[in-house]
Amino acid sequence: MKKKEIINMDELDPQFKYEIASQPGGEHILKCVQCATCSSGCPVASVSDKFNPRRIIRMAVLGLKDVVLKEDFVWYCAACYTCSERCPQDVRIPDLMAAIRNIAVKEGSIHPAYREQGRLIGELGRLYEVTEFENERREKLGLPKVKEKNREIAEIYGCTGVGKVVL
Amino acid sequence: MSKNEPRIGVYVCHCGLNIGAVVDVAAVATYAQTLPGVVVSRESTYTCSDNGQRSIQEDIETHNLNRVVVASCSPRMHGDTFMKTCETAGLNPYLFEMVNIREQCSWVHTDKEQATEKAKDLVRMAVAKVQLLEPLEKQKSAVNKAALVVGGGVAGIFSALYLANAGIKTYVVEKKPSIGGHMAQLDKTFPTLDCSLCILSPRMADVGKHENIELITYADIQDVSGYAGNFHVTVKSNPRYVIKENCRLCGVCAEKCPVSLPDEFNVGLKKRKAVYIPFPQAVPNYYLIDADHCLHLTKGGCMLCQKNCPNDAIDFDQTESVRELNVGAIIVATGFELYDATQKKEYGYGRYPNVITNMDFERWVSADGPTHGKVVRPSDGNPPQKIGFIQCVGSRDEQEGAGYCSRICCMATVKQATMLREKYPEAEIYVYYTDMRTPGKGFEEFYQRGREQGIVFIRGKPGEIEEDNNQNLIIVSEDTDSGLILRNTLDLVVLACGLRPPEALEELTQMLHLSRSPDGFIMEAHPKLRPAETSIPGVFLTGCVQFPKDIPDTVAQSGGAAAMAAALLTKDEIELEPVRATVDEELCIGCGLCEDNCDYGAIEVKRTEEGMKAQVIEVACQGCGVCAASCPQKAVTIRHFTDGQLLAQVTAALEPEVIL
Ligand SMILES: Cc1cc2nc3c(=O)[nH]c(=O)nc-3n(C[C@H](O)[C@H](O)[C@H](O)COP(=O)(O)OP(=O)(O)OC[C@H]3O[C@@H](n4cnc5c(N)ncnc54)[C@H](O)[C@@H]3O)c2cc1C
Ligand code: SF4
Ligand code: SF4
Ligand code: SF4
Ligand code: SF4
Repeated sequence: MKKKEIINMDELDPQFKYEIASQPGGEHILKCVQCATCSSGCPVASVSDKFNPRRIIRMAVLGLKDVVLKEDFVWYCAACYTCSERCPQDVRIPDLMAAIRNIAVKEGSIHPAYREQGRLIGELGRLYEVTEFENERREKLGLPKVKEKNREIAEIYGCTGVGKVVL
Repeated sequence: MSKNEPRIGVYVCHCGLNIGAVVDVAAVATYAQTLPGVVVSRESTYTCSDNGQRSIQEDIETHNLNRVVVASCSPRMHGDTFMKTCETAGLNPYLFEMVNIREQCSWVHTDKEQATEKAKDLVRMAVAKVQLLEPLEKQKSAVNKAALVVGGGVAGIFSALYLANAGIKTYVVEKKPSIGGHMAQLDKTFPTLDCSLCILSPRMADVGKHENIELITYADIQDVSGYAGNFHVTVKSNPRYVIKENCRLCGVCAEKCPVSLPDEFNVGLKKRKAVYIPFPQAVPNYYLIDADHCLHLTKGGCMLCQKNCPNDAIDFDQTESVRELNVGAIIVATGFELYDATQKKEYGYGRYPNVITNMDFERWVSADGPTHGKVVRPSDGNPPQKIGFIQCVGSRDEQEGAGYCSRICCMATVKQATMLREKYPEAEIYVYYTDMRTPGKGFEEFYQRGREQGIVFIRGKPGEIEEDNNQNLIIVSEDTDSGLILRNTLDLVVLACGLRPPEALEELTQMLHLSRSPDGFIMEAHPKLRPAETSIPGVFLTGCVQFPKDIPDTVAQSGGAAAMAAALLTKDEIELEPVRATVDEELCIGCGLCEDNCDYGAIEVKRTEEGMKAQVIEVACQGCGVCAASCPQKAVTIRHFTDGQLLAQVTAALEPEVIL
């Protein structure tokens, strides 16, 4: 969505809030009273003004689906659960962020960093490649060498459809 | 079953669109016409209207009806209305049956066809039952023309004065040594800023000396039995160990007493002795000894107070006394408890000295408080220059078990901030809020005045408070209006704690058989139309025990409760519901299960010539049916809900075709 002075509400998606509420983790979105307890204590919000859990909830409730799904910010939540402990309405924000990310993934919006991680896991079965360097160190510690790539993950990617999403 | 053939009239109500929009009322009425015994069946837009009632009465006369069924709203809403309709037309009101096709049908279903079928089923069931109903006669019982008010806060004080001024003998039972409640602890009151005790203490004194009021303080209700018009209440008075007539309030006893304790009236900010007076304006106005902490009463010895009292007022021989009060009506006015702020760990109350509650603030700012009215930082006694208030502490907080808004804390904060502004014109004052709620006469204007005085309202609830080495308090919070995250270092933080039902309420509600709402406060008989009554006839309620409210609303509700109680107490006798248990002594084997299960002590197994037999104490029985359900011999029957009547209803539900 283009940045405009005035947002025409007819262009927003009033169903978006229900879509989130129907996802595991997103159930409590409509309980939010916008008190800002979450944003007050969020360690990510304190270092980045792009991320503000309260504002994300607000935008979602207003139906700014495109912005919420396409922008980076839903991927910023560190899942520290500080807000969840304190939210007076039990909104369970980190779970809610995960629900929104799941929708984003389904719609094909996935943060490049996560996509890269997904690709690596799919390919290697791990987050990083085991090279000779690691294997030498393993030997010194009396651990067996790792040679093969983990194929199981690729299989799981195949039958669950995760591969289509991240690769 | 009554001798004459049943001649039933059925009236199906549209309730405007409430029922009519979902249920095909005409179809239900036509169907009812086909049921056995039904002589006339009609639909009407509002059966409860004069017209609707008149049509029933005319039918009773012209069609010689001897049974009436109304299918409309809940019997709680209009059961009495239609019973009276029948009675006025000369039909025994217990030959009437009501069917709820609104709450139990149209309001809960959307499928019109199925809802209509269900309405037909419900009507058929009622027609089956109504044929078997028996006429019942109401008994009369004399009304004891005295009232009991439980709790002596502003709610109890005003209810008692209203009743006493109407000439009704009124007992006030207060568990603390003085009446006054929380209002006595407040310094000034919003939105007019009048001094709280200046307006309350004359009324407290009136209670103490009114010829129609008997004040029983430092006392506990131990047992309640009976029913509207005739309650018996057992009250235990705790000994004060001081003779009222002798005490001249010189205070020598307290000077000599070696025991120093936190003073409850000043929320622990000051000390008191084991012999003390709760506060200077206390009613009754004389000293007492705190038996839990007095050296003589706990360990023996000491008696310094007695040795030094110039008026021989100390009497260690006093003991507790128990008495029974006989009253016709009871008003419950036991108020609230403040939310325990130590539960909200992230705000550090109890750990950080400079975090205080709104009730602490009232005592700091009071001339009788620990600093004679100077608000200071508790850690170093310095005047605060930057003060923050945090709203909704323990309210609107599902994690703290209170989803409701406590209603008074926004205004209490505006009041306290305004008072601070007057005392410290230079100070910076911030109020952290979620929503400011100011619905009341003069409230919004008061809030606006606060803003114009430079109090800064920040929309955003802080997640936590941190303390620095100087015991200053750091709040990081979002200001949602600007979208900025703000860091604020403050000298003093006041927590606007919410109101909770008193912890000891459970005991009282059990003794009185009262229900509580999900929020824990006592449930009123109807949320809109009967706010000062409970579900138990003869028991009324007022003040914060029903729900948090401010003083003007409390006083208004007390007027309502007193008027309701007076309406009952000015009658000579009241009618008792005849829907009660009866025992068939031939079947009863005296096992006593019914007696064990009855909550009202209304059924007792007694020795008779035929052996041990259960007997119902008619006036105490509430007709709840627990005894009938528990009797293994089926010896107990509840009139108007006999097995035969209920089974006919059930059979009609299950087998539509075999009805009679
Ligand atoms: C910090 C603060 C500031 C406030 N400021 C204002 C203000 O400025 N203006 C305003 O209008 N309102 C204000 N209020 C609200 C006000 O305090 C209440 O409206 C008022 O006190 C309600 O009176 P009550 O009689 O219902 O309850 P309470 O004052 O709680 O009185 C209840 C009484 O019942 C007694 N009791 C309890 N249980 C029993 C029992 N089992 N048997 C016998 N007795 C019992 C208690 O000891 C007490 O005396 C404030 C409240 C707070 C917390
Ligand atoms: S803390 Fe909870 S209620 Fe408050 S703004 Fe955040 S999610 Fe909403
Ligand atoms: S869980 Fe996410 S939104 Fe909540 S405080 Fe931590 S980083 Fe912020
Ligand atoms: S009155 Fe104000 S501070 Fe109190 S609970 Fe309601 S909104 Fe919160
Ligand atoms: S119906 Fe039975 S259990 Fe219920 S109050 Fe009457 S005697 Fe007690």
